[in-house]
Amino acid sequence: MIVCVAVVGHQNNPLYIQSFTEADDALKLHHIVHCSLDVVDERVNNPKKSGPTLNETFLGMLYPTENYKVYGYLTNTKVKFILVTTDLDVRDADVRNFFRRFHAAYVDAVSNPFHVPGKKITSTIFAERVSNIVKSFGLSSTG
Amino acid sequence: MVREVSESCVESLLTEIVSSYCTGFYANKPELAARRIEAIGFQVGHQLSERYTMDRPRFSDHLEAIKFICKDFWSELFKKQIDNLKTNHRGTFVLQDNKFRWLARMSMDPSLETSGSIQDPAAMAENKSAQAIGMHLYFPCGIIRGSLSNLGIPCAVSADISNLPACSFVIRIKA
Repeated sequence: MIVCVAVVGHQNNPLYIQSFTEADDALKLHHIVHCSLDVVDERVNNPKKSGPTLNETFLGMLYPTENYKVYGYLTNTKVKFILVTTDLDVRDADVRNFFRRFHAAYVDAVSNPFHVPGKKITSTIFAERVSNIVKSFGLSSTG
Repeated sequence: MVREVSESCVESLLTEIVSSYCTGFYANKPELAARRIEAIGFQVGHQLSERYTMDRPRFSDHLEAIKFICKDFWSELFKKQIDNLKTNHRGTFVLQDNKFRWLARMSMDPSLETSGSIQDPAAMAENKSAQAIGMHLYFPCGIIRGSLSNLGIPCAVSADISNLPACSFVIRIKA
């Protein structure tokens, strides 16, 4: 299950962060997302670790914690997407697919002429689309 | 699914933007009108670059991003690539399009009705229509600047009209 997704701008400013848990652990999840930004920077600045996947937008798993796995994605425009999941055996293809759809939703949201670049994404349509993508992520990995 | 936009609509819109800014909102302030038109282009380029770079790996240097503008970006916008790319390898790039679509239907109108001028009337008319065409080029300049700055490359873009409908865009990357 995906517990948190986040969009972080090129100056590490949060553009969108949403958790999908019942419990009141938003702060903890935000902390995890925050920590992951350093890992993203490290991956990007030392690309030799990534080997053949040089400059790919999908960064793979950033780091595991006791209960969560954190995945990252960096677009050409230096916008980071962070995904926190509780699933322990996640297929890379699923995560890639998730980020691809998430990216499409993001692009549509920022193409709104009323959206101010660099400001938080407040679109409810975007939020709805994201929660749909998050829901279908659970389905595709179990089924 | 590929969604397309009617070319004639875009051209009419561009003409209308230019004319309403130059003769309506900022009739006596051509620099301000130019800035506003460029700003509209900037926003368009900013958003388009996000969309068109979606399925590609990140660019490792400036040249790669410029090449993307010349090839894929230009193909998406104009169904053709930039015809010639020159660079001095110190941050200046010249992108030449031999048949720029947004100028293809424009003509240098040598209407000699600028009476009452002491100067050579033909030269005056030439100058005026060149100015009008220049106004139409702020929008594509803004598009290029917007997309490059979204890709993390701050720059200044200007346009040169040599002989219609050829047109070259000069990109100066800010260090």
